[in-house]
Amino acid sequence: MNRKKNLFRTALVAAVTAGALALTACAGDAGGAPATPAADQKLTIGLSADVADLKPARDQGAAAMMLDTLIHRGLLAYDADGEVVPALAESFEQTDDVTYTFTLREGLTFQDGTALTSANVKSSLEYLATPESGSKIYSAMSGLASVETPDDLTVIVTLKSKNVAFPEYLADTTAAILPDEAFAAEGTSWVGAGPFTLESTDKGISFTLVKNEDFYDAENVSLTDIEIAIYADGAARSNALIAGDVDLIDFVPWEDFDRVESTPGLVIDATSGPFMYVHFNVTDGPFADERVRQAVALAVNRENVASAAFSGQAAVIAGAPIPESSPFYNKELANGWDTDIEAAKDLLTEAGYPEGFDTNLLTSSQYAFHQDTALSVQADLAEIGIVATLDAPDWATRQEKALAGEYDLAIAGSAGVVNDPSFLANFVSGPAANNRSFGFDDPELDTLLADGLTAADDTERKAVYDQVQERILETVPFASLVGRSQAFGYNEKVVGFSNIPGFLTFLSGYTLADTTISGQ
Amino acid sequence: MIRFILRRCAIGLVLVWIVLTLIFLALHLVPGDPAALLLGGEGSGTPTPEALAQVRERLGLNDPFLVQYWNYLSGLFQGNLGTSFRDGSAVAGFIATRLPNTLELVLVASLLALVVGIPLGALAARRGGAVDTGISLLTAIGLAVPVYVIGTVMVLVFALTLRWFPAGGYVAFTEDPVGHLSRLVLPSIAIAMGITAVLARMTRSSVIETMGQDWVRTARSVGLARSQVFQGHVMRNSLNPVVTSFGLEVGALIGSTVLIERVFNWPGLGSLLIDAVLQRDYPIVQGVVIVVSVLFILINIVVDVSYGLLDPRVRQS
Repeated sequence: MNRKKNLFRTALVAAVTAGALALTACAGDAGGAPATPAADQKLTIGLSADVADLKPARDQGAAAMMLDTLIHRGLLAYDADGEVVPALAESFEQTDDVTYTFTLREGLTFQDGTALTSANVKSSLEYLATPESGSKIYSAMSGLASVETPDDLTVIVTLKSKNVAFPEYLADTTAAILPDEAFAAEGTSWVGAGPFTLESTDKGISFTLVKNEDFYDAENVSLTDIEIAIYADGAARSNALIAGDVDLIDFVPWEDFDRVESTPGLVIDATSGPFMYVHFNVTDGPFADERVRQAVALAVNRENVASAAFSGQAAVIAGAPIPESSPFYNKELANGWDTDIEAAKDLLTEAGYPEGFDTNLLTSSQYAFHQDTALSVQADLAEIGIVATLDAPDWATRQEKALAGEYDLAIAGSAGVVNDPSFLANFVSGPAANNRSFGFDDPELDTLLADGLTAADDTERKAVYDQVQERILETVPFASLVGRSQAFGYNEKVVGFSNIPGFLTFLSGYTLADTTISGQ
Repeated sequence: MIRFILRRCAIGLVLVWIVLTLIFLALHLVPGDPAALLLGGEGSGTPTPEALAQVRERLGLNDPFLVQYWNYLSGLFQGNLGTSFRDGSAVAGFIATRLPNTLELVLVASLLALVVGIPLGALAARRGGAVDTGISLLTAIGLAVPVYVIGTVMVLVFALTLRWFPAGGYVAFTEDPVGHLSRLVLPSIAIAMGITAVLARMTRSSVIETMGQDWVRTARSVGLARSQVFQGHVMRNSLNPVVTSFGLEVGALIGSTVLIERVFNWPGLGSLLIDAVLQRDYPIVQGVVIVVSVLFILINIVVDVSYGLLDPRVRQS
């Protein structure tokens, strides 16, 4: 009996080894680099989150935006440099301050075969303008006055007041033109007019897309298939890229940047994306005084935040978070909050807190970078006498507390909807929000921002936004910390994909229409 | 025997009801608004109050607490586990896709553990000396090292360095049998290590205890061969405690594969539960908890019954 058991065990080990050897023959693949396109134009993407359901209009997060850039198109889109380009609209013209005329391309259809006409554009835009839609671009769409459709291919959009940045909002994925079914009560937006059609999905595991041959620019789309696998865990996602299981991943974890970069055949494409900041409860207590808020902004050591929370992969932002590449960036004002402990202490004394005070700092333990940012800020504040106790529940609780104003200080990370400085409006005004200072209201700042939208030309706009930045430095609606590096990692053979700079990084999927797999 | 099983089942039902109610209470008392989470996203847009109100209405969150509880219980009696907040699809459907994946992991890991752990423990007990020390050392490592460390190291060695297996993910067996199996190997082995260690140690101590019994000495003295005594008599009698601990391990495993599921990106029940809690997707959390508790209780009943099968002394009572 003993011998039989021994024999059985040996046989089992032999079988497992044989099996393992057989499986190795089928595992992995090498990446190539030559410029000629590969015969098999299939791209495998490792996506950082699942998308349970695509809903129209709403901000559903970066993963949903990736899917949107593949399945949908709106009147306009972005190119690899973040410039607005025509998409479903062949051309558009701004006939006066508040009127835009769009001419649609001929023969447009949705992926289910139905025709896409100006009537669809009208329903889509009007839906986005309703408050119940919860639309991400509501701040721009609430200015919609009317949409006229003189014929099937022409759309005339009239705004209530001038908005220079309006086309940028229309290039966002949530401004996609959708079939009418999407706007029904429980409607979903899995069907669109974009370059790739959703063929099938394995719930929570993968999405399979194929090229949409009826796409208006189909002859320039090289990829034939896209397989999206969900990799929620950052380390698992990086490992999948390094092992060759996937060709491209989003949200490369900051601690894995070096690992991915040093792997031969892989590329890291990073941009400074969302920014981390501190927001305040200004309804009562010490932070109702803007001098105290200024003190906080001056006390924080931003390099420490970058190294503590983002493995150094973050850029210091010591003023209003206007990207360096923007024409409205002002080098002087951008450093208005450079660390100055002495000035911070003086401000506190002036405000009546020479000994500092106790307070609480809201963050979330669910995201390591969030909590690490809070820990770094907590240490800096202690230097000027502000003793902050951390409150770090899970994300859902954090959001609820932040919305209700149950905090003194809070850490947040967010991005603008567009790169244009008009995005700042969302961070300084509006109904209570979980990523904005509670109770903050600065009519002067609101007026300045409104002026920015209606300015006559770029010189005037620049002057207005300089004033906006000065005002922000003074009233501190939030204290910027760092811009975190948002990176895609991909195999060298993926050519043509590009990380669109600034806040538009989440829309980089637009460039997949121009992507080719090279080599082999 | 039948009465015994029926009584255990009845107690099991009461246990499930208690667990259910506790989870329902916990979910509703914990802060965090499912509607806000559904509508919130990456960017700076915060949902309008109207949109929030609409979603809360749709999810039935505005109904009084007891009404929600009653709706839920009555739905359960009709076999309806509810619909997910995230996309309105049936919870039962979600669980039906994820449960087999977890069961597969658990089953394969348990089999591996049985096949390796019990003989290992028996070997240690039988041989003693250097072999025993060596095996005890191995099992100590298997018990002490956390499962996600084992998993991560395995990924590093076998997937990234040696490139023998993919680093993780999942493909259906029907779609790509080889791909499916190659992704199953590393996670199952990672889980199996802990259970193997437990089983080996339990077997070892149980066998040592049995071998010290008088009747073993008697069996040898009446002329039975050493191997006959060991295989036929000692092993069978040592397996009782091993079976119990094995059953408990497997039962507990069904809910705790979440760390390995994360490391290897295996879409199982554990990660479904954790994600649902973080998203405040109440119906899914409740559904998964019911399924896991029912399974756990069932496994315990099976363990008790098998006790009787293995040990005739229990059968008689």
